[in-house]
Amino acid sequence: MTTARTSTHIAFSVWKALFLREAVSRISTGRAAWLWLLVEPVVHVVFLLFVFITIRMRTVGGIETAVWLLAGMLAFLMFRRTASRTQNAVSANQGLFAYRQVRPIDTVLVRAALEGFLMMMVALILFNGAALFGVDVLPDDPLAVLEAFFGLWLVGVGFGLMASVGGELIPELNKLLGFIMMPMYLISGVIFPIASVPQPYREWLILNPVAHGIEAARLGFATYYHAVPELSIAYVYSFALVAVFLGLALHVRYQTRLIAR
Amino acid sequence: MIVVDDVYKRYMTGHGAGKWILQGVSFTIPPKVNVGLIGGNGAGKSTLLRIIGGIDVPTRGHVQRNCRVSWPMGFGGGLQGSLTGRQNAKFVCRIHGHEDDIPERIAFIQEFAELGDSFDEPVNTYSSGMKARLQFGLSLAFDFDVYISDEVTATGDAAFRKKAAAAFSKLTDQAGLIMVSHGEGTLKQFCQAGIWLNEGKAYWFDDINHALKAYKEFLT
Repeated sequence: MTTARTSTHIAFSVWKALFLREAVSRISTGRAAWLWLLVEPVVHVVFLLFVFITIRMRTVGGIETAVWLLAGMLAFLMFRRTASRTQNAVSANQGLFAYRQVRPIDTVLVRAALEGFLMMMVALILFNGAALFGVDVLPDDPLAVLEAFFGLWLVGVGFGLMASVGGELIPELNKLLGFIMMPMYLISGVIFPIASVPQPYREWLILNPVAHGIEAARLGFATYYHAVPELSIAYVYSFALVAVFLGLALHVRYQTRLIAR
Repeated sequence: MIVVDDVYKRYMTGHGAGKWILQGVSFTIPPKVNVGLIGGNGAGKSTLLRIIGGIDVPTRGHVQRNCRVSWPMGFGGGLQGSLTGRQNAKFVCRIHGHEDDIPERIAFIQEFAELGDSFDEPVNTYSSGMKARLQFGLSLAFDFDVYISDEVTATGDAAFRKKAAAAFSKLTDQAGLIMVSHGEGTLKQFCQAGIWLNEGKAYWFDDINHALKAYKEFLT
């Protein structure tokens, strides 16, 4: 190879190499690593389903409880897995910056792509699995479901882009973000309908873009679902785009600080 | 040709900016010249290598690389512990844009590193000598105009050191080399020119023997 490669060419080969490398370590290191990707949502959904059946809630907001839980859980995990994997991308790949082709932003983007891809696979497998148990999982509006999932993924990417820089520059920030992620599961309306919260408090809950995304995903499954009235998919995307933009800007600004230890 | 122009470097520490490690370092390395970097511990040798290799940036000044420069080889960087030697090798092939001839390059690395079955074991099961073998094989599998070596010949057992030295001298016939070593013999064997780093300044010597002499005179 005598000619110099263009920047685009280098970026693409780095992305490909990183993607394959991340995929191998995510899917095949450890005992049945791929299985755990599926087990987490299944365990949560089955447990919650058991609780809902015990209190005899057969429908939530007009749709079947199983569909409501499954759609909400997978939509939520789309956000959380992307967010937490990308948040740690830079610190986990510190060793690779010995090759000057690899930039911190590459590791974040590649992890985001891999996580999004894996979550789509997980969702397809679980929805098919649920269909075998006789749950009506065919969405009324498949595009709306995709739109919601993609929006949540994008929010996760934006979060990860910002957190990966922030956490490296200010290590204490990772702990604070941990405090936010923990109640996220509750306040995003994964295990109770946001619409059931009375007004002065709902206003606060609805500031969370993840809650919007999850409700939008459910509404995509059944157009007659009583989603929270303030639902706005545009809010999810605006939030995500601002976060992604800020995250990219942080990466541009602090790229050298991330590499230089 | 590599031009280092008035490079200053200091690291950020927990309590603000650290002390200057490099203060106004300037020199030009002509093509195909092998240079040895000498200086005491903490003189900034590895820092300078990282800056030349493009994986760190100077606080002030700049470095111009008009040729293909390798990554700084040595000291365990650039390997992912949970992946096998083969997977690591594939990764390095891919980021260097050699998607098409991965099998040939892997075969070369495998043969050179002589790791046997361990080549397909995770790297975190390797001893430091085995890691060095793999890294050395990796860097030799690609054609660079300038190789950067951070004490890489000093690792491994006697047999491997001999092999590495042979590979190194073959390499230095056709490409440039910038190396850090505390072994005087190694420096004399491979390098023509020398750079002595002292108190943030760099002194260029056309003859490595003069550089070593200046260093030793300073110590006494």
